[in-house]
Amino acid sequence: MSSDEFDPMIERLFSRSPQMADATLFAAEVETKLQSSSRVRTVALTVAGLIGGIIAVRETTNVSLNLNDGSSPVAGRAIGQGVQAASLNVQEAVNSGLTQFGLSDMALGSMGGMQLFWIAAGALIALAAAGVMRLSQEI
Amino acid sequence: MAQSLLDRHDVELAALAAAGGRREFGELVRRHGSAVRMLLRRMGAQSAEADDVAQDAFLQAFEKCAEFRGEGTFAAWVKRIAARLYLKRKAKDARYVAELEPEQAEVTVSPDAAGLVDLDEALKSLSEVERLCVSLCHGAGLSHPEIASAMNLPLGTVKSHVKRGLDKLRARLSGGGEPVGRAAHVV
Repeated sequence: MSSDEFDPMIERLFSRSPQMADATLFAAEVETKLQSSSRVRTVALTVAGLIGGIIAVRETTNVSLNLNDGSSPVAGRAIGQGVQAASLNVQEAVNSGLTQFGLSDMALGSMGGMQLFWIAAGALIALAAAGVMRLSQEI
Repeated sequence: MAQSLLDRHDVELAALAAAGGRREFGELVRRHGSAVRMLLRRMGAQSAEADDVAQDAFLQAFEKCAEFRGEGTFAAWVKRIAARLYLKRKAKDARYVAELEPEQAEVTVSPDAAGLVDLDEALKSLSEVERLCVSLCHGAGLSHPEIASAMNLPLGTVKSHVKRGLDKLRARLSGGGEPVGRAAHVV
């Protein structure tokens, strides 16, 4: 038999595979795993969201209570100033980016530094959660 | 009346699965699960391992279902995913690399009582790496360069393994029963 005849024959043989007796059981196992992984994902995202939200609320409260207070400790003030400076930098970078894309009229400039800071923090938390989910799929 | 899952085409089911339809995906698993598991066994996986990898392949296929555009068959698409997963698993197991090296004992094959041998029996006469290369090429539909890349082997080596494997299968399936020789190593 020449290889021209043999190769297609091998491919036909490979494509022939009888239905296994436990095919339904196998499918049921896959469906169960799909359901449980979907449940795990929902729980992980909810927990990540809750933790992120709690941290955000707590930090916002602390900053407004302590750092904006003129009598707050020196270290606290320094952190507050650092955060505000970082937020302003982010704000400037975003504004210059928007200007480049002709979107300078957007009202982002009117947002407070802390608002931008929390938007960025939220985006980072979302990215981290997505990364964790991706990693869990890989594993 | 709603169309039954059994009446739907694979492409249609895959599109519904991509939108989150687990029941539709379950039907695809019922249709093609055996073929995927069989391919993995033909590649050399033990039954339990084959089922394990096949499950992972289907789970991955569900996540990537939107990427399936119906250009080939759904079964072929999942088989490729499964074959790559199996190779990854084998690569983690250092044994796989070691097995490329030792010289293989001479294998004499003979046709069974009816003068006929099936593919699964015939595949047993191949060395593990030949079996993998032939299964990846003719079972999972991977090209020689794809196999070389997936197995981290030179392209020429892959071609040699496929050719040698096919020669052995040809000898076995044509019922000649001649010795299929000592495995040479081209690295």
